Amino acid sequence: MPTYIDLNVHAYPETDTPAEDLLRVAKRYGFAQIAITNYDNHVLQDSWLEDLILGVEIQAQTVTELKRKVRQLGGRVTVIAVHGGDEKINRAAVESPKVDVLTHPCSEKGEGALSYVLVRFAAENGVAIDFNMNALIQSRHGERARILSKMREQLKLVRKYKAPMIITSHAHSIYELRAPRELIALAALFGMTREEATRALSEMPQGVVEKRWKKEREVEVL
Amino acid sequence: MVRRTMDLPFCMLCMVYTPPTLRERRRYLRFELLCERPVDKRDVLKAIWDSLYALYGDLGASESKLWLIDYQPREDGTRGAGILRCAHDRVEEVRAALACIHAIDTASIGIRVVKTSGTIKGASK
Repeated sequence: MPTYIDLNVHAYPETDTPAEDLLRVAKRYGFAQIAITNYDNHVLQDSWLEDLILGVEIQAQTVTELKRKVRQLGGRVTVIAVHGGDEKINRAAVESPKVDVLTHPCSEKGEGALSYVLVRFAAENGVAIDFNMNALIQSRHGERARILSKMREQLKLVRKYKAPMIITSHAHSIYELRAPRELIALAALFGMTREEATRALSEMPQGVVEKRWKKEREVEVL
Repeated sequence: MVRRTMDLPFCMLCMVYTPPTLRERRRYLRFELLCERPVDKRDVLKAIWDSLYALYGDLGASESKLWLIDYQPREDGTRGAGILRCAHDRVEEVRAALACIHAIDTASIGIRVVKTSGTIKGASK
């Protein structure tokens, strides 16, 4: 069985749920590890549990703010994710090799658009494109239809340029966590095959944590 | 109590025996539910159907042939477990619909499928 990792979970102090509870439920659901990626004003400073990965989801209004925050947090946390949605922020995130994950590039409501240029940069710089399943779970009707079609587009581009992709739950409480099999079934809604989804929950996030997608690039450059 | 009557190879309305080759193939899913507040069986069933309708529409929902066999709240009411039945080739669709349920009334919930089986007995083990 693959070792499943959920790379985007929000915990106390950003939300009311402590990281221990989230990890306990996630383990019960079949995850090996989870990454706590609170927004940058609530970053967890140290990991006191073995299977807890430290991370951050950077929210920035401008490109300079984003760059400053990436520089500040680089080295302090394992996973640097960027809260995507805005086109300029998306572009700056995929152009920076220090960034590990670009979360919901089409924003949480599916308003934004992901161009092929961005995905090509993401593939080059080893920035994983994230599929936020919580957006599908929490929305209904028109909004969900829009998100699903955006995700379908996103998947097409990611397949073409072979950018790393990950599936995350974006859970803010234990009730928003979903088991790997459920996430795979949700990913099938926008056309992701079972093998792809399994990889996006196991190998890909593992590679993000180990910076494997970056290393390959460095080797190529040298 | 698990309702075994629905598992008999009879059509309950006309009581005609259905030969094994004509019986519909089914899967039984055992699921586990985490909830903020205790919820009862009727609410769970309504939430599952609402989610199916929202995701697949009336047509898709009819193809899943969903039936809630059993639901039991557990312990202090923050957890529950149940068994539901669906068509054998619609398991992944039903799984996605179950995953999409995020709240009953205002109480947040999360559902996970623990086991799938071809028989009620297998699913309740």
